[in-house]
Amino acid sequence: MSLAIPGSAGRSPAAGDARPAPKPRSLGGAGRLVARAWRKSSVAGLAIYALALGGVLGLASADWATRGGYPFGGVRIGAWTAWPRAGAAQSDPYTRAVNARRGEIPLAVGEGLLLTASVDDQGQALDAACSYRIGGGTPPARAWTLTVAGRGPRDPGRPAVREGFTSTEILRSADGRFALVLAPEVQPGNWLPSPRDSGPVRLALRLYDTPAAASVGSLDRDSVPAITRLGCAS
Amino acid sequence: MRVVNLRFVYATLIGLVLAGIVHIAAVLAIPRLSETDAVSRARTSENLDHPQPIYTVATGDDPAPPEAWLPIPDPAVAVGVCAYDLADGPMRISARTGPLSLSLAAHARRGAFYAVTDQAAVRGALDLVILTRAQYDEALADDDENDPSRDVRIVAPDNRGVVVVRVIAGLPSQRPGANAAVQAVSCTTDTAADEPAGKDLTVKPAGR
Repeated sequence: MSLAIPGSAGRSPAAGDARPAPKPRSLGGAGRLVARAWRKSSVAGLAIYALALGGVLGLASADWATRGGYPFGGVRIGAWTAWPRAGAAQSDPYTRAVNARRGEIPLAVGEGLLLTASVDDQGQALDAACSYRIGGGTPPARAWTLTVAGRGPRDPGRPAVREGFTSTEILRSADGRFALVLAPEVQPGNWLPSPRDSGPVRLALRLYDTPAAASVGSLDRDSVPAITRLGCAS
Repeated sequence: MRVVNLRFVYATLIGLVLAGIVHIAAVLAIPRLSETDAVSRARTSENLDHPQPIYTVATGDDPAPPEAWLPIPDPAVAVGVCAYDLADGPMRISARTGPLSLSLAAHARRGAFYAVTDQAAVRGALDLVILTRAQYDEALADDDENDPSRDVRIVAPDNRGVVVVRVIAGLPSQRPGANAAVQAVSCTTDTAADEPAGKDLTVKPAGR
């Protein structure tokens, strides 16, 4: 008995303090008094414990699930993940909660399609210290943009050279395909500077006015740009 | 000792079930209670006749303005929002197509319910009217059979929402044009007093 009670008694006053206690309890009393109160009203104590556990765990998990990116609804295509339903009226409750918390205005189905990538074709996380070749074709679209972003706010001291390419301005080869290099150092051709010195980066490919938004399942690896790691500085 | 432990296990189990209920309730309640979502943030633009720019693409060395609150904006796309409240009357969005591709999307709290690009424009003009079911029925009843309205009428699921205007600047030189194109869209509330005047205008060419 003496083993079990101090462990549970240590928990119950914390729970009782966090919420309005149902009955006045003298806080000045020592642990012995609390232990006696616990023994006498263990049902009430356990109820408070269960309520506190449910409230804290439920709110924390809801916060965790709706913080950051969308937890569900992505369709993997090679290294890319397409988010066809992020802006749809039938999107799942988690997607709606994420959009509401971030103030995001996602692309609607008739407007375009967002694809993101945080890994390369080998499945390794994209790192700002490494250089990557991103090339190939894109699904049919009237216009597209390919942008890179680091996590969190941008470094204030860093000059904003270029954050991405649009389908109009990118240099292409004769067959209409393109290749760009994401690297910290200046590169010939389509050079996309790394957004920061180190740390994870994310690529976003936004297809505007595309029929692919309605049929994401028909896209395969060859229809999205390949991401190949060329090497790392460190 | 065993009794206390068993009770403790029961309490933990009940706590976990409660946690699940609280989790689901919280996720469902976030869009309703959020004050940082797009519809709430755009409400300040309700009385404007033109979209409120929420992301203007950087021109030259100017960075994006501080009113930009889109979390991860596309640096080549200018975005503006028009908030509407259908209790004041139907919302009319008129856009003229230009050299840059433009898209309009109507969002309510539950997500986008309509989107259209400038490729759907008739003779270079894109007119959307967002209305409630009752306003839609009224507009249908008022329609002149010989001169059908060319408006695209969309019934909104909610009274409040936003219309998002996106203009893509394919080249850096097109960026000032994209910012201007967002501002050139007009979003006005059709009040009852305006409606006959609008009808007269559409009748006039037919009479000539």
